[in-house]
Amino acid sequence: MNTIPATSNARLGPLATRLRTFALVVALVAAAAGLWLGHARGDGFQRFQHAWLLACAFFLTVSLGALFFVILQHLVRAGWSVVVRRLAELMAANVVVVALLLSPLVVLAAMGDGSLWPWADPAAAEHHPLIAKKAAFLNGQFFAIRCAVYFGAWILLSRWLLRRSRQQDEARDTLPTEALERRAPPAMVAFAVTISFASFDLLMSLSPEWYSTIFGVYVFAGSVIAFVATTILTLRFLQSRGILRGSVGVEHYHDLGKLLFAFTFFWGYIAFSQFMLIWYADIPEETHWFHVRFEGSWAYVSALLLFGHFVLPFAGLLSRHAKRNLGVLTFWAAWMLVMHATDLFWLIAPGVTHGGALVDVLDVLAFLAVGGAWTFGLALHAADRSLVPVGDPRLHESLAFENL
Amino acid sequence: MLEPANTAAAPRGKLHAIVAEFDDVTAVTEAAKRVRDAGYTQFDVYSPFPIHGIERAMGVRSTRLPWIVLACGLSGTAGALLLQWWTNAVDYPFKISGKPLFGIPAAIPITFELTVLFSAFAAFLGMFALNRLPRHHHPIFEHPRFKRATDDGFFLAIEAADTRFDANRTRELLQSLSSHPIVACDEPADDGATPRWVRAGLVSVAVVALIPFALALASRFQDSSKPPFHIVGDMDWQTRYRAQAANPHYADGRAMRPDVAGTVAFGELATDQVLATGKTGADWTTKIPLTVDAALLQRGRARYGIYCAPCHGIAGYGDGLVAARASELQEPTWVPPASLHDAVVRGRAAGQLFDTILNGVRTMPAYGRQIPRDDAWAIVAYVRALQRSQNATTEDVPPAARAAMGL
Repeated sequence: MNTIPATSNARLGPLATRLRTFALVVALVAAAAGLWLGHARGDGFQRFQHAWLLACAFFLTVSLGALFFVILQHLVRAGWSVVVRRLAELMAANVVVVALLLSPLVVLAAMGDGSLWPWADPAAAEHHPLIAKKAAFLNGQFFAIRCAVYFGAWILLSRWLLRRSRQQDEARDTLPTEALERRAPPAMVAFAVTISFASFDLLMSLSPEWYSTIFGVYVFAGSVIAFVATTILTLRFLQSRGILRGSVGVEHYHDLGKLLFAFTFFWGYIAFSQFMLIWYADIPEETHWFHVRFEGSWAYVSALLLFGHFVLPFAGLLSRHAKRNLGVLTFWAAWMLVMHATDLFWLIAPGVTHGGALVDVLDVLAFLAVGGAWTFGLALHAADRSLVPVGDPRLHESLAFENL
Repeated sequence: MLEPANTAAAPRGKLHAIVAEFDDVTAVTEAAKRVRDAGYTQFDVYSPFPIHGIERAMGVRSTRLPWIVLACGLSGTAGALLLQWWTNAVDYPFKISGKPLFGIPAAIPITFELTVLFSAFAAFLGMFALNRLPRHHHPIFEHPRFKRATDDGFFLAIEAADTRFDANRTRELLQSLSSHPIVACDEPADDGATPRWVRAGLVSVAVVALIPFALALASRFQDSSKPPFHIVGDMDWQTRYRAQAANPHYADGRAMRPDVAGTVAFGELATDQVLATGKTGADWTTKIPLTVDAALLQRGRARYGIYCAPCHGIAGYGDGLVAARASELQEPTWVPPASLHDAVVRGRAAGQLFDTILNGVRTMPAYGRQIPRDDAWAIVAYVRALQRSQNATTEDVPPAARAAMGL
């Protein structure tokens, strides 16, 4: 173990340029088509705004899951994860792309357009006493300020985490790592508060009369799933191009699989906790939210989430052999990403799809546009620098890591 | 040379294992591979810390434990669901908050807990059982240097129980792998049986642990003049409002809550108009819509005695205790209850009597809150019997009885 194979072929190389070009073209074409089609609907971009929020929420949750992961590794001084941590740092820092893409929606809400978040329209409070009572919190200006705080905190934090980690690549001592470990606890607290309130603001306030205190945890659970699944797929993609083959092995996939499995169950636990209390209390203003999602074709989406987002992957990922079989693991990672998108669709779309749970072409276009931009940003952040934290004091531990 | 582990002249049992010592992980792992390749299966490696990949090197098959855990976990799931279904929906059906008798969402938390509990017990106890634990002694401790296994020693022991075990060939194999002396470890002379004082102690603890259960059982069959022992006091003496008490939390000040407007209690949905209102169309029914038999009349008699007799009197002449007391006091506002044997009352349709019981008439209050629908019909049937008994003719007496009575 005198020579570290991890440093060889741990860069995107020529792939970076191709990835950037391809992603940018997809993003621009999809965004243009989406805007044009959204305008053609003649609904004041209402459907388009929902599709755009869905796409932004998807990639925001991936970035936030990554941010959580990075902070967690420093918090517990994890050794196994060093070889995959740089990918997470890049994804977390990429939250800036989502901030840019989401800002038009926030500006529209701040200007009083209630077509996405109904409370944003000052007239909404006049018709609904519950919205009127929440107006001190749910109003355009305060909302915009809060969004600026959340995204500001995430961008600063994630960029700092990436910068310090890259400093460690070059450093001769371990001071950058020590700084990261020292700041991890307060960073984790800040993360918990911001993701919780951001979930309330961006997603829960789509139904402003409804509330669930566990909602932030629900979104958090989905975020970690989205991040781990994305990481597994990204690693598989990069390794198929010959990148990171020297550093990431089946032991690391096994651990990522454990995280995927754990958070799949955690998501089910939280989702059920949220549902059962509302089901048992049976208060109309709370049950309404589920009632909408149990009616018509939305009932099938709800059932799909129960089985597809929880029961099946739980059974499928339970065995150690499933987590160590890269083909099986990759399948479940892709499956969980689709389920996560379905979950967000289930959270966001019922307010606007009056005819039932139909995926709109706008949803697809928005997803391609935001996804393209996010991938572009990711390649930009990765540049041609090492995808492995080569100077990390625990790199040897990570490379030699064995589960069994 | 095979060195005996016990140099003392203590009595010794049969050979347990032949043990070799190694200096590092690489050596012991390599030795494990060689022993595995030689076809041995009953051997073990001892090291101060877990060695990654040693199971592979030893050729240890995957443990059955996960399957045991899975089976027990699923038993927990099934057991919890069955228990809740049986207790809530079959053995003691009781509506709570209008939820289904067996509501899956309400059953999930207990199902989850029991699944986890059974899995954890299976993992914990199963691990002990598969490793044949607990045991107070192991022959490997006979090895004079075995304590090094907690520090820097690595040992490999081939057990005599292995089918390929042969004292000489096995020793030669180990000698070819290790430069340290090879040691034979024997079973203790008593086969490692648990010492008598330990067994006595365990039995004593088990007996002492049974005492509380024995006392509880004994008290089930004993009479006592002392007040009962309340373990959970606030379940025996709950804060609650009595039925007729005032409750300041409600605008009308009543502790007993009337049904919410527009709601129907479970099992009381009026699908049969005659049964529910006593009317067929706009007219009172003259026929009691239930099967009139002795059981119904007995039920009606008991309900009549509770709710009607205090005013209307046991025979129905309007001379009940309340009425008698009121006329004795000459209460000015008291309206005497009607005699059920007046021609007017006798002429009323069964449906109208039913309606009067539930909804009241003039000064008679409504009894619909206290008397369930079918009980009201039972009372009507009994009142009809009373009326007939007090206005009977000779023709009503069966012919056989007529002769006996000299009529």
